Amino acid sequence: MIQARDVVKTYVDGDGTQVRVLDGMSLDVTEGEFVAVVGSSGSGKSTLLHLLGGLDVDYRGDISVGGVKLRGLGDKALAHFRNTHVGFVFQSFHLIPNLSAVENVLLPSHFGVAPPDARKRAEALLERVGLGAKKDRAPVRLSGGERQRVAIARALFGKPRLLLCDEPTGNLDAATGTGVIALFQDLHREGLTVLCVTHEERMSAAAGRVLRLKDGQLVEERAGLQVATGGSP
Amino acid sequence: MRLDALSRLVRLSLARERKGAFFSAFGVAMGVGALVFFVGLGLGVGAVIREKVFPTDARLVDVVPPAVSLGSLLGGGTLDAPTVERLRELPGVEAAYRKMNVRVPAVTRYDGVFFGTRLRMGMEVLALGVEPALVQGDVQMGEFKDAGEGQPIPALVSTRLLELYNKTFAPARKLPQLSANMLVGFGFPVEFNRSYVAAASASGPTQSGQAQVVGASDRALLAGITIPLDAAIRLNRAFGVDAENYSGVTLVATDPSQVPVIVDAVKGMGLEIDDQERRMAENSGAAVALTTSALALLSLLICILAAVNIAHSLSASVRARAKEIGVMQAVGASRADIRAIVLAEAAVVGLAGGAAGTIAALLLALGVNRLAAGYLPNFPFKPDSFFSFPWPVVAGGVALGLLAALAGAYFPSRRAAATDPARTLAG
Repeated sequence: MIQARDVVKTYVDGDGTQVRVLDGMSLDVTEGEFVAVVGSSGSGKSTLLHLLGGLDVDYRGDISVGGVKLRGLGDKALAHFRNTHVGFVFQSFHLIPNLSAVENVLLPSHFGVAPPDARKRAEALLERVGLGAKKDRAPVRLSGGERQRVAIARALFGKPRLLLCDEPTGNLDAATGTGVIALFQDLHREGLTVLCVTHEERMSAAAGRVLRLKDGQLVEERAGLQVATGGSP
Repeated sequence: MRLDALSRLVRLSLARERKGAFFSAFGVAMGVGALVFFVGLGLGVGAVIREKVFPTDARLVDVVPPAVSLGSLLGGGTLDAPTVERLRELPGVEAAYRKMNVRVPAVTRYDGVFFGTRLRMGMEVLALGVEPALVQGDVQMGEFKDAGEGQPIPALVSTRLLELYNKTFAPARKLPQLSANMLVGFGFPVEFNRSYVAAASASGPTQSGQAQVVGASDRALLAGITIPLDAAIRLNRAFGVDAENYSGVTLVATDPSQVPVIVDAVKGMGLEIDDQERRMAENSGAAVALTTSALALLSLLICILAAVNIAHSLSASVRARAKEIGVMQAVGASRADIRAIVLAEAAVVGLAGGAAGTIAALLLALGVNRLAAGYLPNFPFKPDSFFSFPWPVVAGGVALGLLAALAGAYFPSRRAAATDPARTLAG
């Protein structure tokens, strides 16, 4: 599913110093894996996620996701890639406040080919994450856990093969986080490839493989425990 | 990006930022409204000047003999029959109409009932003879031709003279308002070779006659009467003055573009062009155009300010929505999609502002016309409407609103499209 080779990512910080965030990192993720990426703050986890999701293409090396080589893709092709190949889940949910839950889930349909049953599909996804009854609520009227479930439903709308999650439980309390982790496990069991950047021990424990980044390099790779966290709602 | 999706996102965004959108549209409406109003006013007043005050036909060239020239001293530079034939043969000339002044003074003394009012008046009369074909379209009674001595002379009065009479003379003297139709058939006595002005007195016997109004014409002499050319020739012969050379010739060009060529050729023949009326029309038109342009420029400035306001407003909006834009990019929006959303928001604001401004200008013009009709004195050439709004002005107003908004949105849309989703969505 993912092949990354000798990926180098640098940026210039406020002082004009060039900082190497990823330093020749290589990575392979096979289809259907549940991978947790851990590491201290500034180790390059989120940057890796952005590169793999086609949000940032300013790097050296080669990245291929689902058979699509990201380097050299034009803006339109990259947008199409994000619309159809990957789903993002962020720590801060990033829901659009004046859209209802179901409209947030429908957001990807505005930028791609909308299936004829788009709304039905969005409602089914909300049902899937346990929010069928709250589909018309604005994000402000949902709890943190519920907002993250809406964000997950939105990430799944384009039927992606890869789910990229950036600290998805970072803003949730323990109980709510557990529910979200269980949801990821369910999705993984259904065949979705999940790559999750996390500080959360329980998330690492739930994953099949754990990668540790340090100073932009992959320093450790171990099998996860795949600890079951209980069923999703 | 599909149109329905774009429309939905724009609607949502404008609904959220309706206050800012309202003020932006208001700014556009002010600029567009002022521009449409002043352009409409300029066009309206310009039309009054062209069509009523100085009605000029772009195809007509009035040729007169030179006031003083070596040619005239030597017997040349006159408008005799052969010269008229040469003028008629000039390239680009479709027709040539001769004119001759009655070269003796004339007066009228009226003592009787004038359309229901007792009137006793005497005044000098200038008479110009013209070829009937030049004014045939304005003749409302009988044929415009000389019926011979002892018969009433058909006369045309100037429509502008009629307007001046109705708006100034008649109210001041409590005389009735007249229309061309009312005047047709009205007869008045004329004494030729007589003058109230000592310097213009002619020697020899006078000749009394009757003139009968047969219509009103833009081409008639402003201060006097216009009679058939044959009548003028007959009178001049009777009093032994020049009845061979014409006072002027009106040339009709095949096309307005031929006029400069004809003018050059006429001047080359040692003759002059009487373009006083045309120049006055052009000068008045230029004054109106200059004033309108200054006001239109001011209005354009308001439009530019409105565009700057939209730029500021959208820039702030784009900054505030950076995360939202990042999310859209994450779920599949391209840079072009983001640019389209921002530009479409501006387009809606611009179209709404442009349409509102244009409608406001039309309503204001209607109000001004009503006020003018009710409160302004009835001065000469007072039009029913001071405004003219041809469809390009109306459509142009709306289009200008759109353009101003799109211009204002140009940089914010680029900035929005350049949003780095990785940076805005981090953390």
